[in-house]
Amino acid sequence: MRHSIPKFWRKREGYYQILLTRCKTCGRIAYFTYIKCPYCGSGDVELVRSSGRGVVEEYTISYYRIEGAEEYLPRIIALIKLSEGVKVTGELVDVDPSEVSEGMEVEAVLRILSSDDPHGLIYYGLKFTPIIKGS
Amino acid sequence: MRRVYVIGSALTKVGRHFNKGYKELASEVIDKAINESGLESVDLVIVANMLSDSILDQLDISTILMQNLGMTKVKALHIETGESSGLAALEVAWTAIKSETAEKVLIVGVEKATEYPTYKINKVYSKVLDYETESIRNITPPDYAALIMKAYLRKYGLKREDIAEWPVKMHENASRNPYAQLNFKVNHEKVLNSMIISDPIRLLDTFPIGDGAAAIVLASSKETGSSKAEPVELVHTSSAVSVQVHLRDDLTKLPATAAVVSDLRMKFNEKMINEAAIELHDSYSIYAYLLIEELGLAARGEAPKIINELEFINVSGGLKARGHPFGATGVYQVAELHKLMTSGLAGRRFDGKYAIAHSMSGPDYNARIALLQRVI
Ligand SMILES: [Zn+2]
Repeated sequence: MRHSIPKFWRKREGYYQILLTRCKTCGRIAYFTYIKCPYCGSGDVELVRSSGRGVVEEYTISYYRIEGAEEYLPRIIALIKLSEGVKVTGELVDVDPSEVSEGMEVEAVLRILSSDDPHGLIYYGLKFTPIIKGS
Repeated sequence: MRRVYVIGSALTKVGRHFNKGYKELASEVIDKAINESGLESVDLVIVANMLSDSILDQLDISTILMQNLGMTKVKALHIETGESSGLAALEVAWTAIKSETAEKVLIVGVEKATEYPTYKINKVYSKVLDYETESIRNITPPDYAALIMKAYLRKYGLKREDIAEWPVKMHENASRNPYAQLNFKVNHEKVLNSMIISDPIRLLDTFPIGDGAAAIVLASSKETGSSKAEPVELVHTSSAVSVQVHLRDDLTKLPATAAVVSDLRMKFNEKMINEAAIELHDSYSIYAYLLIEELGLAARGEAPKIINELEFINVSGGLKARGHPFGATGVYQVAELHKLMTSGLAGRRFDGKYAIAHSMSGPDYNARIALLQRVI
């Protein structure tokens, strides 16, 4: 058993929506719920909710096998620039690797990240999927 | 202030040592390094290892190792800073001697990475990233190397094949190094057609999984050991931490490495880096190009043009071909540079004054540097 309920539960807000840390000292915004600003160390920060939408800046199609996520190959890992101007790395799903391109518009969706043995715990978290035009 | 000398070094061939555990591997290099140093005993042993908990089911590896080697009269501690653990151990040893809390320190880097199938090792190796923001979401070190490589190609208008030379050079170097894991040669075609890991990173852009052990003996006096005739001084160690990849404005820059290089430039003369023998952390070939630029050996975007002009760079074959026994790698680098400056390595000898070991963890999440200087 690798999955832990408390370890995941306490971070659930940041795993189920894109929360950004906005620093009131240096003014910078960073993806994830940091205790202190990762740029300047200030504790004067507030959490801001992201729209969850952005564009792909760079991406890679990965065949790197890791235990617990073997069935999700290949993985498309992208660096996404959110509409708030902040970057986040994440997995792209519901898209054929050949259809991914830089500049593609994507939005966050909730998906399985990994699961323990067949009857164990499942971690859910955010991945990204292309925004279908006109939807 | 006290000076610190390298008075002995030893290393074992990186590879799949199925018949040896970490205790056997460590014991061999400890005996050889201590023997070369001419010392009877040391005050402190520092063990550099990254995966003892995950792979060996062993906590407190330094204590257990000392118990097993009959070394219970020695102080011992274990250092882990991910892939750069080896140079972190050196940094602590250097500080201990400089501060006069120890006079003779043995540094042992040891890793057993072939105890499980590769996909399990890939998983634990990925823990060098932040679990809560990165590894939990299945983001791995080669994925970052791939994103960084694409950003580099785009920024400087380069093609994938423009940066295929590094693995060729590393395999060539490793073919002469008896301690290297991969001693076969490769060409551009082989590199570019090898299996995709994280596109555009291919199998031959990255390191093989291997076991290894290396040891170094440091002392405050040079009047002993192998360096008696040609003492090598450890004149500087330094380290830095950088922000995560998604927080960087420019992916083609390595901020922690930039900080340790700038520190080095301030303390020593600018030209020193150009004249030094260097072992750098090429876990993925793209990092070699970026590191060459961070070290100022080439202008930004120009590293691909000068790869073959660099003579004493990763004479060992680097992580790419010598291999990367994670926590032991930094100790390998320093042992190799010590050999290169004294008895020789891979059929070559470096007569220059300075040698630099550079190590980092993940995509430059931390970077460390050590500077060796010939004392004449
Ligand atoms: Zn700040």
